[in-house]
Parts: sequence; C-alpha cells; structure tokens
Amino acid sequence: MGAQNNPKSTEGAQSPPDLWDPLVRISHWLIAAAVIANGLINKGGGTIHIWIGWGVLGLLALRFVWGFLGPAEARFSAFLPDPRAAVSHLIDLVRGKPRHYRSHNPAGAIMVYALWACLVVVTGTGLYMTGAKSPITIAEEKAAVAAGDWSVLVKEDDDEGEDKSALGEAAEEVHEIAANLMLVLALIHVAGVAVESRVMKRNLVRPMLVGRNREK
Amino acid sequence: MTFSGINLRQGRRETTALAAFMLLQSVAAIFFVGDAFTDLVTDVGSPHSVFEFFVAFVLIVGIFLAGWQLRLTLERLRHQERALGAARGDLARIIDTQFAEWGLTPAESDVGLLALKGLDLSEIAQLRGAAQGTVRAQLTRIYAKAGVSGRHQFAAWFVEDLLQDGLSAKPQTVPQD
Repeated sequence: MGAQNNPKSTEGAQSPPDLWDPLVRISHWLIAAAVIANGLINKGGGTIHIWIGWGVLGLLALRFVWGFLGPAEARFSAFLPDPRAAVSHLIDLVRGKPRHYRSHNPAGAIMVYALWACLVVVTGTGLYMTGAKSPITIAEEKAAVAAGDWSVLVKEDDDEGEDKSALGEAAEEVHEIAANLMLVLALIHVAGVAVESRVMKRNLVRPMLVGRNREK
Repeated sequence: MTFSGINLRQGRRETTALAAFMLLQSVAAIFFVGDAFTDLVTDVGSPHSVFEFFVAFVLIVGIFLAGWQLRLTLERLRHQERALGAARGDLARIIDTQFAEWGLTPAESDVGLLALKGLDLSEIAQLRGAAQGTVRAQLTRIYAKAGVSGRHQFAAWFVEDLLQDGLSAKPQTVPQD
C-alpha cells in the first residue's frame, strides 16, 4: 500500500511538494475558515450556518473528485491510509529523524482522512437535521411564514412528529460530537504541522500558502 | 532567468484563478442541485425539472472539464520547470567544457564565470580578494585565449551558441514523464 509514497523506493530523494496545487490550497483554507465559522463563531445553526455547511459540501465534493483527477501528490493513491506506516512515522518523529514523503506523511494522511470523515458526518447529519432543504428553500419558507402562510409549518410538524424524538435527536447528538471531535483533530493537526516543521527544519505551512520563493 | 520566472509566476496565477473558479462552480452546483432536488423528485419529467436536470448536468460536466484543464496546465508548468532546470545544467556544462577547451586555468575559469554573470572588475576583485590589476590581467588573458575582443564579445560567444543549436536538442529529450 502507498507504493507511490514509499520513501525507500526513491532513496529519500522525495520531499513534500514545494507548493501544493492551487485547488488543494484554496479548498484547504476555505474549509478551515468554514470549520472555524461554523464550529466556533456561529454554532447556533442559523441560516448562515446552513449556507456555510452547504458550501463545505461543495468544496468537499470537489476535493474528492480532485483525489482522482488531480496531480500526483493530491491524488488519494499518493497517501492511502496506512496505520502501520503512520505509527512508524510517529516513532521516527520522536527519534528526531523523520523521513520525507512526496505527499502527506503517513500520520498526516490518517489525519486528513479523519478530518474528512468528520466533515462528511457533520454535513450529513446537518442535512438530515434540516430535512436536506437548501438554504434557499429555507429562506423561502421563512418568508412565506412571515407573510402569513403557515402551511409549510403544518406540513413540517406532521413529518417530524414521530422521528424528531428518536432519529432527529440522535442526528443532533452525532452532529455535535463529530463537530467537537473535528475541532480537537484540527488542533492536533496544527500541532502536528508545527512539530514536524521544527523537526524537519522545513516550513510546512508555506507550501499550503504561496510556496517557496524560488526566484530572489 | 527573469523571463522564465515571469512565465512560471504567470502560470501560477492562471492555475490559481482556474482553481478558485472551479471551487466557486462546485459550491454553485451544490446549491443548485440542492435547490432543484425537490423539484426533480416531486415532478419527474415535467419540462421544468428536465430543464433543471440539464442545467445541473452541464454545471457538473463543466467542473470536470475545468479540473482536467487545470491538471494539464499544472503538468505543463512542472514540465517547463524541469526543462528549465535541465537547460540551466546544460549551459553550465557547456561553459565548463568550453573553458577547458580554451585552456583556462582554474583561477581564470572562476574569473571568467564571474564576468559572464555580469560582475564588473572591482566586484570580481573584491570577491576573489585580489587586486584589480590582477583581475584585469586575467581577463585579458581569457579574452586572448578565447579569441574575442572584449567582455561583450566574450558573453555573446555563449549566447550565440545558445541561440543556434547548443541547447535546442537536449532539453526536449530530458524530461520524459
């Protein structure tokens, strides 16, 4: 597994990209911003929260397409989940001599998949909680109610009567737990980048921002 | 090398713009599909939902095409970067070989290289910790060995080589993946 990302096959000449491709970079920071916005700033679940959630769904979908279509280091095949390699990478890191990988290092790869799983669960349960209604529909319904047409509300109450108590509650719980888990993972992710950058004496944030200054 | 720098930077701006646009497209597609979903499910086959289905389809195909384009552009940029690296290496090798052919001593080779890089007499003297007179004498010997009249002709010697056929054949065969 992960043959393309195997450090031995290339005598350690590989190193992570100087610059991630623009799609990876932009989607990374947009998703980070969305997580901060929805997870910390407006947790309430208002209209903006739902708009952002849908936006994340779009970004995530595109990133998954890019995992097959993108350049080598952005493809899933470059960083397949490999827990054993992840553990050995962490041991190398503690010993202070991590190997270089062409894409994410194995531990970083596990983190990527964990964060994606959280995002999928959070957006999925979020969709369930809002009845998969797009923010546009929700806004229209609100406008209708405000205008005095309460029929939407009646219909909604009918559906919800029975499952709201069981499945709905469960979805809400899972939504919240997964969101908090994601925030914790994001913190570990940031800490991991900091540690790795120090040990490898290589700024790992830069390739995710603008890349190295090649021409002075 | 500034020419290539501008080229690559422009390529980067283009790919970044394309990627940003693709992300916008996918967010738009998600909203559109989400909004049209109820229509699609509730009345399948009505002209309205057929139209919405068509629009959604076109949007998504557009994203895939843009993605393909982006990937090709990124590959082309990398290819250029590699070719450029190979060309730089080639030029350095050509200069080395030529200096050896002219029979320049190691010290003269160093001075010659610095002169080719555009440093003037006092800068070369300072870098090498030598007197300006020494460097001037070395340069004169270099020009004599190369059979050129002065610094301009000396630099032009390599540029001319580059423009004719010195590099054209090699870099094309180097990057092959």
